[in-house]
Amino acid sequence: MQPLISLSQITKNYRDMRALNEIDVTIQPGVTGLLGPNGAGKSTLIKVVLGLIKITSGSGTVLGHRLGQDGRSIRDKIGYMPEDDCYIPGMTGIEVVQFAAALSGLPVIEGLRRAHEILDFCGMKQERYRKIETYSTGMRQKIKFAAAIVHDPEFLIFDEPTSGLDPEERENLLNRIRILADESDKSVLISTHILPDVQSICDHAVIIAAGKVVLNESLDVLNRPSAPTIALRIDSKNEDGFIDQLSADGLSVSRNDDLLWQVTGNDEKMTDKIWNAAKATGTSIHSMQPAKNDLESIFISAVQESNNASS
Amino acid sequence: MPVHKVGYRKWDGEKTPQWNRWWIITETGFRIAFQSAWVRRILLVCWLPVLYWGLALFVLEQALDRNAFATSGSQVVSGEAAEAVNQGMAIAMNDQLIDTMSDELEMLPDVDKLVAVMKSRDAGEIRHSIWSWLLMTFFRYPQGTAILFLVGFIAPGLISQDVRSRAFLLYFSRPIGRLEYILGKIFIPTVFLILITALPAICLFFFGVTLSPDISVLNSTWDIPFKILAASVCVILPTVSIALMLSSITQESRFATFAWFAVWALGHSAWFAIMITQAVRLGEPPTSRAVLDSEIVQEWSIVSLYNNLSNVQSWIFGFQDFSEIWPSLFVLTAITVVSLIILYRGVSAPMNV
Repeated sequence: MQPLISLSQITKNYRDMRALNEIDVTIQPGVTGLLGPNGAGKSTLIKVVLGLIKITSGSGTVLGHRLGQDGRSIRDKIGYMPEDDCYIPGMTGIEVVQFAAALSGLPVIEGLRRAHEILDFCGMKQERYRKIETYSTGMRQKIKFAAAIVHDPEFLIFDEPTSGLDPEERENLLNRIRILADESDKSVLISTHILPDVQSICDHAVIIAAGKVVLNESLDVLNRPSAPTIALRIDSKNEDGFIDQLSADGLSVSRNDDLLWQVTGNDEKMTDKIWNAAKATGTSIHSMQPAKNDLESIFISAVQESNNASS
Repeated sequence: MPVHKVGYRKWDGEKTPQWNRWWIITETGFRIAFQSAWVRRILLVCWLPVLYWGLALFVLEQALDRNAFATSGSQVVSGEAAEAVNQGMAIAMNDQLIDTMSDELEMLPDVDKLVAVMKSRDAGEIRHSIWSWLLMTFFRYPQGTAILFLVGFIAPGLISQDVRSRAFLLYFSRPIGRLEYILGKIFIPTVFLILITALPAICLFFFGVTLSPDISVLNSTWDIPFKILAASVCVILPTVSIALMLSSITQESRFATFAWFAVWALGHSAWFAIMITQAVRLGEPPTSRAVLDSEIVQEWSIVSLYNNLSNVQSWIFGFQDFSEIWPSLFVLTAITVVSLIILYRGVSAPMNV
């Protein structure tokens, strides 16, 4: 399968500052989360991918087009939703989306029809006829989202798509991204600080820190603990007895931040041992499920490792 | 998919060609600028001078026509009609009018050259010269001032607002290059300027043709529409380049507006100061023409953008030689080229942050 993005030794300097430092990364089609602390180089990486800025050195391809030479062809196939508000004062919401469609090559009338269709998809009602300066943050996010997808691009880049949204709107937006990925086979790159967003819709994560890619892995792999682990929620008057029993059976037990007990062991009969310990100590098990690694701790440890390595 | 289903649908229509995408930027920018009531008012005011210049053409053609027919009445049968018309027109341009023009209108540009043509008594040349002179003054005075205000109202926000509102990402994240963006932006004030320069001037020309005795006047005036277009290009290119350059180097459109008016005012004020100094130096109360024609005032007229535009227009309409105006043409070309380079760099700059 042709990779979505394939970058090799990409370096980008802004005068004395090195924003991207010999980045090597390959991103496959699907939904990918681009994570990193502020100033890590996420926005620069996106600009490089879009062909908006010249790279200092390195090479790469985006959707099969060469970076730095086929910028126009790349942007023709990409829908980009920037983090910042970007609007033209004096235009209504529908005009902005129609304008975006026209810039991407949709004929005028077709662009207007398509703009209405996309705004319907985004849940935008009559407010589409209002001047964009009067919009709330949520409405502007919808317009940016609509402008990014109006020309039906095959690859979507969303920069902080849920910032400034209330929980309901955030969930709606993530649902729309899911629909685009699942039903229309769009590949998506989401740059965000909100880790639960990545956890909920991405199947791949790229963590970038200090201009370098420090982690590039599928969420399935990242979420999987190094040893089989079961997360338990229990209710017991004899909690200590239950823990002691499991320990005596050769299982390791710890408690995480969500007050869940994590039972780890390489024992095929781990589940039986848990049930037996619960029975023996009169413990009620409220939930029992395979444990996942916490993305936040993965993120923090990856960034810290990168900082340690660079210092 | 059912029509009522409000979901995401694919689009696989045919895209418009790449080469005309810049026009979308122009069209949209024009529409947004035209929403302003002030812009519409300025446009309306810009067309008012057309009435005065139209009246001048009407009076001129009436005078020529009356004299022509009066003279030709007895001669038209003898097959000397054309000659009669020529004579009639020449009579119309009688000595009294010529003297009045040279005395009373000495402050106006190139009157001496107009007078010289009128004394030649060649009807075709006289009509051509008067029409050209009228159109040149139309470009120089009412429209020259109108351009200052219209461009000062429209252009300063065209790029600075895009940078401030980060709208440049809306353009450049699509298959639009910087040159297309600049071209699209340049044509927004250009279209407005065409509406107040080339279009009314062409209307005036055809108004003159309509009023003239017959269509044969086109034989002697056919080149005027081309001169109108050339004069329009000469005024549009430098002014729009400067205005957009100023817009591209700031995020605050009010600063760009201020700089736009300052460029015009400072240059012209400097030249005006030189002119006053020269008037004082000449001692005896000199005639305006003497001051304007003095060497130092002529030499330093290039510090004024307005003078440079006027000089080149005067050349285009045939009242000055190239040897007289080449410094102005050079200054305007240099200003345009430098402005466009700064504009290109200014448009590229927001990406590098």
